[in-house]
Amino acid sequence: MVKGHIEMFKKSLLFQMIMVQFTIDKGDFEGFLRKVIEKYDLIGPVEGDKSKLRRKSLFRKIVSPDELFLEKKTYFPVKGYFFDPKETLFEFDGDKIIDPKIELKKKVFFGLRRCDLNGIMHQDMVFLDENEDPFYKARRDASFLIGLHCNEGDDYCFCNSVELKDFFDLMFYDKGKEYAVEVGTKKGEEFIKKFSGVFKKKDKIITEEDRKIRNKKKLDTLDIKDNYDDDSWKKGSDLCVGCGACTLLCPNCHCFTIEDEVNFDLKTGKRVRKPASCQLRHFTRVAGDHVFRNEKLARFKHRIYHQIQYFKDRHEEVFCTGCGRCIEGCPARIDWVKIINEMK
Amino acid sequence: MAKPKVGFYDITGCQGCLLSVIFNEDEILDIINAVDIKEFRFIMGEKYDGPLDIAFIEGAVVSKEDLEMVKRLRERSKVVVALGTCACHGNIPSLRSFNEKNIEYLKYDKKNEKQKDFGEPSPIIKHINVEYCVSGCPPDREEVKRFIKEILLGKTFYNYQDPVCRECKLNENGCLLDHDKICLGPLIKGGCRAVCPTSGLECYGCRGLIDDASFEDYFKLMKEKGIDPVMVKKHMETFAGIEINEKLKGTKWEKLH
Repeated sequence: MVKGHIEMFKKSLLFQMIMVQFTIDKGDFEGFLRKVIEKYDLIGPVEGDKSKLRRKSLFRKIVSPDELFLEKKTYFPVKGYFFDPKETLFEFDGDKIIDPKIELKKKVFFGLRRCDLNGIMHQDMVFLDENEDPFYKARRDASFLIGLHCNEGDDYCFCNSVELKDFFDLMFYDKGKEYAVEVGTKKGEEFIKKFSGVFKKKDKIITEEDRKIRNKKKLDTLDIKDNYDDDSWKKGSDLCVGCGACTLLCPNCHCFTIEDEVNFDLKTGKRVRKPASCQLRHFTRVAGDHVFRNEKLARFKHRIYHQIQYFKDRHEEVFCTGCGRCIEGCPARIDWVKIINEMK
Repeated sequence: MAKPKVGFYDITGCQGCLLSVIFNEDEILDIINAVDIKEFRFIMGEKYDGPLDIAFIEGAVVSKEDLEMVKRLRERSKVVVALGTCACHGNIPSLRSFNEKNIEYLKYDKKNEKQKDFGEPSPIIKHINVEYCVSGCPPDREEVKRFIKEILLGKTFYNYQDPVCRECKLNENGCLLDHDKICLGPLIKGGCRAVCPTSGLECYGCRGLIDDASFEDYFKLMKEKGIDPVMVKKHMETFAGIEINEKLKGTKWEKLH
């Protein structure tokens, strides 16, 4: 793991050792959110329009607290708020480069699940540690992360199997009549102070039982080093129709492509960054029309190995956050967890 | 640098592709200023018979006149661009080729001597070499603009190579395949900003196939959903039928019934 991140991480652990815990009454919760909306942009999960086939739950700006959809994790990840799907890197006028101004209103994110939060942590490792990305950093600096703990997993997630870490400013635990609140960072502590009227200090209210997540799914092993040539990978890639939804829905995936958009004067324009997908053939096409991963099988294996092994080799963290969005969003529901579990 | 001499021509088609050029209301003057338009019957009366730098041709070849015209244009143009799905893939005119019942009135219009005995309608690219294909029914106007700009910059234009699904997911849509719709998104070139799936309509594949379209897996998936493969094939034939039938040759799709 790279240095900056270890420090950040230790800081967050330090605050947990203090075990500062609070509670907030569900009666006060709506009022609290309204106050947040007054001061900041509140981003939270919404269900989307059910009557339309195409709409799925996603993170959106919340205008009124009753829009929130808190039953389960969202279909779409939150990553678009940090890793913008259409980021202007710079504008140009002939040889002149014009840096964009990034002015952002402070955003408070509510309802992030543990998988979402770990996804943000993994993207931090990529965009903030070695080569700091100013656009990502600006968005992250202007964000405040409030998590919401899941007690029950859905049909696809398996987060217990992938060693998730505590990474949040505040974490909410549903305790029936009230939410128990755990503080993760100094930022979180300051935030609580701002709203001191609604948060009551209560020590050790969060039990081990509260911290548990009951998953229906389980990934048996994170060690797939010796399985690269296993035939059963084909079971997955043979079902793949090649849409790339798995990578676009993944809270971690951060590969991108860069395009120039030129205006008609052929002098001015802008350079934009857009998400790409390693599951599409065009992704590995290089000069001379050579394609490194020409076979679907190779692309499929690459994705799983990046999620489970390659990232861990480099950053000492399992990349996959076990949210199962890649399985839920796949038209063929390719269950790579099952494929790995059935390997010898 | 002198402005390139450009002509816009149409053979049998609906002229929608040419409209997608002039429907760029905000930038139509930029387009006119950037190139020297020699012939474009939608916006000017003049005819032109000299050499051209770029000829845009829309439509499918369905008669001898069409064929003569594209051959003549090929001879006098440095670069020929097949504009739209008719020119690139055959599109609706070529549907006649897959008409199983062999309905007589679809074969040719008896009054129309031009079409008589010409054979099956086919895309321009079957008859002449073209430098570029800009497909779509009609082509996306942003892509038409991008094409013109990249040519002017001396770049090589590349078609958008990723499937429709990429842009569809970036538009935050759920998957229509989950609702048992025959959406061809995974097989078809995007670049259209996934307008159809975003409006709730399944993709009919108007922009042609991506390089490595996973037909067999797509048919397998459809079979699992209980959708008749023949229906799926008909769906595929709507826009890029000739290309799809060529690619399906030798695959096992029929056995998947």
